[in-house]
Amino acid sequence: MNGLILAARREVMTRIRTRAFVIGLIFTSVLVGAVSFAPKVLDRPDTYTLGTLGTQRLPLRAAAPDATFEWRTFPNEAAARQAVLDGDVDAVLAGGTTVLTNGEIDDRLGVLLQSADREAKLAAAGVSIPPLRMESIGADAHDQTARTGLAVVLVVVLFMMLIGQAGMVAMGVVEEKSSRIVEILLATLRPWQLFGGKIVGLGAVGLINLVTNLAVGLAASTASGVAGDFPPGMPGLVAGVLVWFVLGYAFYATLAGAMASLVSRQEEVNSVLTPLIMVIMVSYFLAFYATNAPTGTLATVMSYVPPFSSIVMPVRTAATEVPLWQVVLSMVAMAAAVLAALAFGAKVYQRAVLRTGARVKLRDVVRVR
Amino acid sequence: MLEISELRKRFAGGPDAPDGKLALDGIGFAVRPGRMFGFVGANGAGKTTTMRIVMGVLQADSGSVSWQGRPLRHDDRRRFGYMPEERGLYQKMRVAEQIAYFGRLHGMSAAAARKATEDLMERLGVAERRNDPVQALSLGNQQRVQLAVALVHDPEVLVLDEPFSGLDPIAVDALATALQERCGSGVPVIFSSHQLELVERLCDSVGIVAAGRMVATGAVAELRSAAGDTLRVVVRDAAPGWPDGLPGAVTVSGDRHILRTTSGDDQEILRRALKAGRVEHFGVERPTLTEIFKEAVT
Repeated sequence: MNGLILAARREVMTRIRTRAFVIGLIFTSVLVGAVSFAPKVLDRPDTYTLGTLGTQRLPLRAAAPDATFEWRTFPNEAAARQAVLDGDVDAVLAGGTTVLTNGEIDDRLGVLLQSADREAKLAAAGVSIPPLRMESIGADAHDQTARTGLAVVLVVVLFMMLIGQAGMVAMGVVEEKSSRIVEILLATLRPWQLFGGKIVGLGAVGLINLVTNLAVGLAASTASGVAGDFPPGMPGLVAGVLVWFVLGYAFYATLAGAMASLVSRQEEVNSVLTPLIMVIMVSYFLAFYATNAPTGTLATVMSYVPPFSSIVMPVRTAATEVPLWQVVLSMVAMAAAVLAALAFGAKVYQRAVLRTGARVKLRDVVRVR
Repeated sequence: MLEISELRKRFAGGPDAPDGKLALDGIGFAVRPGRMFGFVGANGAGKTTTMRIVMGVLQADSGSVSWQGRPLRHDDRRRFGYMPEERGLYQKMRVAEQIAYFGRLHGMSAAAARKATEDLMERLGVAERRNDPVQALSLGNQQRVQLAVALVHDPEVLVLDEPFSGLDPIAVDALATALQERCGSGVPVIFSSHQLELVERLCDSVGIVAAGRMVATGAVAELRSAAGDTLRVVVRDAAPGWPDGLPGAVTVSGDRHILRTTSGDDQEILRRALKAGRVEHFGVERPTLTEIFKEAVT
């Protein structure tokens, strides 16, 4: 065990001192921070600039209290037409019967103008209509938008972290194999200590990354006020994401390292990892689909199937309410898959890592000797 | 004492060689404490395979390796020092950290590893490069770091595969001195080399391996005397046919006749030679290790 810890510590110490790690961490933190502020910046209320000839205006504010309206008065129709064509105003109310626009009018503005006009004319005729009362009987719509946004961010972050860290394990295995340092290492360490140390060490580096990003994200969204829209149970969600990252990482990193042990040159890593990257890509697309339809059959079923569950389930829990027992069941299934990957990966690694030269065939390694 | 006995190893074959390749065919030898054992043989004879099995990097099909009378285990090997044929270091890791890391892997405490690293870097002349990544060092200096990695934990046994290859004469001397020091403190040292003069100069005993078998093993002096002395006589301006009836072979080089023989009455040969012409050389020669090696492997 001691050897595994030494190997893991070396991975952490050499990795976190590299420029790539520091720059990557700063970059993702800035990105996460920006995403946390984005809803407040992009989600501004609608603003319309309207023109009028003379003093006639419509009571638009009463119809749309969340929008702002700016009125401009033009001395004659020619000046108003010019302003419309120049894009200075969205529409001009010309007399009581015509609205001048450049092309088709904005949907919402059109409806507002029509209904305010009708209301004003009916009121003049002595008819008053009480406005419809709106009542929401579903979940808070605002809550749902925030949840979906959160799920999308989660998909991207988990995907990037899994593919990045698993790739790093693969490159590390080949680095040791191609420089032949593995021969000296294996004279003092057992293969599982060296391989396990690499997986644990680079996993710790990944966790440092993930925890930093989560902390930055939570702090930034608290500062921007977006956090107010978060669903209840955020601590549980965050804890779940960390567990899912550990499970998904352990699965993919073990297999990536094992596959990488088959080749002896860095250039060959990509080709040997292709099948695994395909699986991660499929998980990614499934999870993206799940952000839109978190209660659909596909998302529900795939949130139990390892290794897809390692991205789909956390996304489902972020996007909708998922009973705890379902999450636990899915985690148990994934943990079993991780154990199987460890048994398989350790065997492949042990048998292949000292066979330098041409690419070792997986079939030859798996076959019992 | 490190004892290697009856090692056999067959590598799995491909489609073109279904039986595989027999790399070791019952190789065996022993190295006593404080002795330097030179391991020589042609390329592909089985030296590297043997050393890798000793270091536990490869598994033998059969045979055994024992240390101090009992089978060698993983924990024993952690106290061995190993330099594989294919040099390998973490290219991006700093020199001092790397040496100390291997000290830790060999079971040293952090403080002991740091101290041993400092001492070694000082002695091997790489102390001022301690914070440079290995890839920034010259090949010669990388070799020194490689040696430091093998020596850092004050190993009980040293197993070095071609430690002298690629070194300049000064570095060869420095490495030879370092090995002799270790050997002098009671550590058995095994190293393989193609530089037979070096093996002859440094080693107490040698093993000559060919096709996975040990064809000759023993003290260098014993091997040389066992191979038999050769009498070499050089006669100038002699008439052809003077050595008729004498044992051995005669070669002619210009006006010189050179007679080589391992048998016969040397006094009789001398008398005949003196009668035939001018004797420029008359002496007994022991075969060099190179000659023994060539004899043994062909």
